[in-house]
Amino acid sequence: MSLESAATVPLFAEFPFEWNYIRSIIVVSLYVSVAAVALSTLCSLPIALAVGFTDFRGKGLLTSIINTGMGFPSVVVGLAVLFTVSNEGPLGSLELVFTREAMIMSQFVLAAPVVTGVSLAAVSSVEQNVRDAAYAMGGTRLDVALVTIKEARYGIATAVLAGFGRAISEVGSVLIVGGNIASADGTSKTRTLTTAIQLEAQRGRFETAMILGVVLLAIVLVVNGIVVRLGSDGGGYR
Amino acid sequence: MTLEATDVSHGYGNETVFDGVSLSVSTGEVVAIIGPSGVGKSTLLRLLALFDAPDRGTISYDGEDVWRQPEGRRLEHRRRIGMVFQDASLFDASVRRNAAYGLRVRQSWPERIRHGFAQLVGEQNGTGDAVEALETVGLADKVDQDADSLSGGEAQRVAFARALAYDPEILLLDEPTSDLDPRNTAVIEDAVLQARDRGIGVVVATHDMHQARRVADRTAVLLGDEILEVDRTERVFDDPRDDRTRQFIDGELIY
Repeated sequence: MSLESAATVPLFAEFPFEWNYIRSIIVVSLYVSVAAVALSTLCSLPIALAVGFTDFRGKGLLTSIINTGMGFPSVVVGLAVLFTVSNEGPLGSLELVFTREAMIMSQFVLAAPVVTGVSLAAVSSVEQNVRDAAYAMGGTRLDVALVTIKEARYGIATAVLAGFGRAISEVGSVLIVGGNIASADGTSKTRTLTTAIQLEAQRGRFETAMILGVVLLAIVLVVNGIVVRLGSDGGGYR
Repeated sequence: MTLEATDVSHGYGNETVFDGVSLSVSTGEVVAIIGPSGVGKSTLLRLLALFDAPDRGTISYDGEDVWRQPEGRRLEHRRRIGMVFQDASLFDASVRRNAAYGLRVRQSWPERIRHGFAQLVGEQNGTGDAVEALETVGLADKVDQDADSLSGGEAQRVAFARALAYDPEILLLDEPTSDLDPRNTAVIEDAVLQARDRGIGVVVATHDMHQARRVADRTAVLLGDEILEVDRTERVFDDPRDDRTRQFIDGELIY
């Protein structure tokens, strides 16, 4: 390739992406995934503690169900949530079809088993001796649960990260329940990083798709870095 | 103040650990429970620490049948008792935070939250008693270290300080020195005697008969599924009434 012809290749600055468009997609993606994972964590931690602490008939079966939930096909979850929020569904009156709230619901269903399963493994790995020590020092059951959460904090942080990774990188269910919609002003309404990448690639706008892909990777890397930092902090709470 | 197990039987599943056992400890005395490993010394201590209700018999504190009390009252009783396990079982936190744990759970939630925020900005309020307890076991200089940086002996000494910090009336020690070297063992035994002199009642479960002789005012011999005898330590060792006690003390009993 001669120097002249190389000079005709479009420069990075000329790539056809719009910052407002990309920024709005990032905001929607983060809003939906963070909300879904926050809700999942609120529900999953008490379940993980309850299952981890107590022995009951069917505990093995329940654990298997939770672990199976980690592998739920996202399109099937999307379909189930779409049915739930559709006019004929049980939540039809809330008019949630193609809204961010419906996307949060579907990502909640996908992330909750991951957060529960990994948290359960973390909580179960806290030694009985340590829980006994908290109880023997005059701790209530709530105190013992708090000690267990503190002891398992790195594992729980990993669970939240895994749930977030599952939520933000998932495409099937948010596409079905969100509809991948952009507003009239060209910003995202229910368009996430993943569904936008899929659309932009289909349209042949590979540069925009690539930018979105890099942003998605960067988000996952940053969150991962935070968790690794937490874990390598010497672990101690003073 | 007296913590008392009366005619207590306990087991797991269909297996009976002991049957019809009675033992008491009052403030200001050290009682040793001696017996071979696996005989149920830890189970008896857990019953005295109010972890579990006995299958039969009563556990009473100052004459109150603890398991007939509502949970709130039982919590009050539990908070007058400290326990140290064979394994130090320290929390993954600083030495100070470990030693202050018992004090912390006794605070009201607003106090705990206020102290939590104070600690976030580097203040260490309300841990004076914990540091004092650490001084008793010679570890006040390690107060800001992470617990996992301690040696096994130091960790066990911190566990002892953790149980001492909130000034319990009764202290239960489950094989507290079985994994320790002579120096750390001496520190713990000295701390036991100091605790007794402060008016704390101590129960030490141990298979080390020399330790029982060194620290205990009274000794109970747990063998088979029963307490064979309980009396002043010198009497039990020098003039055992039960032949199995004599055999156990002489090392002749095969178990």
